[in-house]
Amino acid sequence: MLQIGSLVDGKYKILSQAGKGGMSVVYMAINEKANKTWAVKEVRKDGVLDFEEVKQGLIVETDILKKLKHTNLPSIVDVIEDDETFLIVMDYVEGRSLQETLDEYGAQPQDKVIEWAKQLCDVLGYLNSRTPPIIYRDMKPRNVMLKPDGNLVLIDFGTAREFKEKNLADTTCLGTIGYAAPEQFGGMGQTDARTDIYGLGATLYHLVTGMNPSEPPYEIKPIREINPTLSSGLERIILRCTQRNPDDRYQSAAELMYDLEHYEEIDDKYRKKQKRKFGLFVGTIVMSAAFAIGGIVLNVAASNKATDAYEDKLFEISKSRDYDEKLELYEECINIPNKAGEKDAYLGLIQTYKENDSVFSVEEAQQLEKLITNNKSALMQNPEGYTEICFETGKLFWYYYEYGDGSDNQITRAKSSIEWFQDVIDNAPEGYENLGMAKAYANIGIFYRDITTNITEANDKGKYMPLFDNIKDLIETVASDESESEIVRLELVEMCRNAIHQYATKFKIDQVSEEDLLELYTDIEDILDSIEVPDDPEDVRTIKKTATMNEMESTRAAIETAYGTGKEGD
Amino acid sequence: MDYIAAASTDIGISKSTNQDSFGVKVLDTEIGRVVFAVLCDGMGGLSKGEVASATVVDAFNKWALGRLPVLCASGLSDNSVSMEWNNIIVECNEKIKLYGKRCGVSLGTTVTALLLTPTRYFIANVGDTRAYEIYSSVSTLTNDQTVVAREVSLGNITQEQAKTDPRRSVLLQCVGASDSVYPDFFFGDIKTNAVYMLCSDGFRHEISEQEIYSFLNPNVMCEREQMTRNMNSLIEMNKQRQERDNITVVTIRTF
Repeated sequence: MLQIGSLVDGKYKILSQAGKGGMSVVYMAINEKANKTWAVKEVRKDGVLDFEEVKQGLIVETDILKKLKHTNLPSIVDVIEDDETFLIVMDYVEGRSLQETLDEYGAQPQDKVIEWAKQLCDVLGYLNSRTPPIIYRDMKPRNVMLKPDGNLVLIDFGTAREFKEKNLADTTCLGTIGYAAPEQFGGMGQTDARTDIYGLGATLYHLVTGMNPSEPPYEIKPIREINPTLSSGLERIILRCTQRNPDDRYQSAAELMYDLEHYEEIDDKYRKKQKRKFGLFVGTIVMSAAFAIGGIVLNVAASNKATDAYEDKLFEISKSRDYDEKLELYEECINIPNKAGEKDAYLGLIQTYKENDSVFSVEEAQQLEKLITNNKSALMQNPEGYTEICFETGKLFWYYYEYGDGSDNQITRAKSSIEWFQDVIDNAPEGYENLGMAKAYANIGIFYRDITTNITEANDKGKYMPLFDNIKDLIETVASDESESEIVRLELVEMCRNAIHQYATKFKIDQVSEEDLLELYTDIEDILDSIEVPDDPEDVRTIKKTATMNEMESTRAAIETAYGTGKEGD
Repeated sequence: MDYIAAASTDIGISKSTNQDSFGVKVLDTEIGRVVFAVLCDGMGGLSKGEVASATVVDAFNKWALGRLPVLCASGLSDNSVSMEWNNIIVECNEKIKLYGKRCGVSLGTTVTALLLTPTRYFIANVGDTRAYEIYSSVSTLTNDQTVVAREVSLGNITQEQAKTDPRRSVLLQCVGASDSVYPDFFFGDIKTNAVYMLCSDGFRHEISEQEIYSFLNPNVMCEREQMTRNMNSLIEMNKQRQERDNITVVTIRTF
């Protein structure tokens, strides 16, 4: 034990004992020269069974923490070790844990919880996106400090490490292991970023309902069953975070963050309002179309002049090699008076995004969406061109959208592209060749958007057969088309594989026959085989292909499990 | 109604401490002879588990000697028993939690308490220690408060899968390690010429219900030495089959 009043390492004066954990004591200390308070965590040799092992663990842990810098993490300033003790000097976090807040005041106001959720989501995203990723594994109100300024600090990385599979050989109790996600018990696959998503969901549940999910009835109910005044948007978010199967949860903190920032928009009330708004919007369009006819006549003369400028600009772009310049020029091109309705600049821009780095970034998406939305009325005058732009934009989102912090999530992409394919369906001129494809894309996107809610409300039966048909359509038309880009084909094959893997049992329930499913599986196997990728293992196409190849075997097993045709003992 | 009671405990083949605790009391009261038995399976690092299990057994023993005779005189009901037992368990939970906080360790215990009166049995249960009734067959009187038992009852996994599930030793709650504790209570009419048994989970993983029946059925449980011998045979069988946990069993034969 450190003596109160003693000086550690000639710098830190121990002021008082601040807390006590399983194998450590935490003191409050002051660096008198700098007049700053610190927390000193002491692990003593005689306090733990295997000091060397614990020390090694702590060295690894503090080495990780030393490299981290985030407003919601305590920083470590010093590690002092000798034969008898191991001392960690870190930020002294003033405040109280969220558990104490819960104990004293019960359920917390929804707005506050959402605010906290964003902070926690941000720090988890930061941890999960380190290389190698850091998985916190022990998210719970007790491990979150609420500072007087309202900000949160995630503490205690030690307990996260203590909880390892081997400890479960002994009897333990839910109370001590917190909101462990199902996969944390071992035997159900690796723990990864989605494990932290589960912990965060359970924490939010506890905070907003005041009900501890590791106490009877040991379940995470829809929060409005406990408090009907809570948001259905938040309810959806929490349910999705805490799905048993990691594949059914948000796949990354970035994805969760997006929904947290838009939780009101996924609220039932909001959805209803939007439907009404859409009605008004249609009315407005009809009116403006009527006025536009008057305008067109006057504009014909002016547009002749503009055509030259437009062509010139497009020519200039074709000569430019600078990516940023190209983007700028395309935007200028679109902004030429009376040219906002021409499709060429938009299609050129889309092509440029694709060619640049095979990634459609959030900033790029904002640029494109802004241009199209601002010029929608001009574009709509030429339904054929507009349809083509929407179809290409939809595909851009579907195959290339890079959403958030390095997360690569097909489902989000599919969802983001729904409205574009819907626009294709709504505006396509008669006989439009890609209409069937647009419908398939839109239907799959809608499926993924609604499936969590449908599963929660037990409405999902019957939704899988159409999904199967739509996917099969796209595989037959797009993925089999050797003139399509490798990225497009690989993405589609992976989406199909993922759907088979995840929904094999659901397909069976919806009476997709095993033969049909196996046929689709064989199809994508063949297509995958036929897609040629560069030798470079760093190339994104090579990475995608290898990733899908590695999963094929277990996808097949999933079909066999679902239809009960696996070999004995498989 | 009369009773013969016997008990046996064993540290097992691999642990350095026996963290199981138990107590059995036969009392003469105004409603006739009654038996009170309690069994706790403690858990916790640095050999603190037995502190938790002994704390709960002591608290129940104190109740059996002090409050139980008074309760029998004033009229015993399902309600009155469960209320008093609930208080004991909640109090113990707070006490053990505080102790754990002071020592910087986390510890806890299961508990199964059983009261047999001339007409009725009363049971309280937290965790995965169990109470059984052995008559013409073996029947379990308690429900395990474990993660896997819950998963089975929700239909998420089968009984077979439960046996190898990685979560099989995770309790839903225990006395001393849960923020709040909610015991289950069970009541029923008592049978004459039956055997009532309490056991820790170490007693039942490696042996079948059939084996329990053949060693502990009322016909072969007629006097204390014989009962102890039979229980010890099953404990030995468990150890031979490499059960690693502490093993404890209490039986009460009614006649």
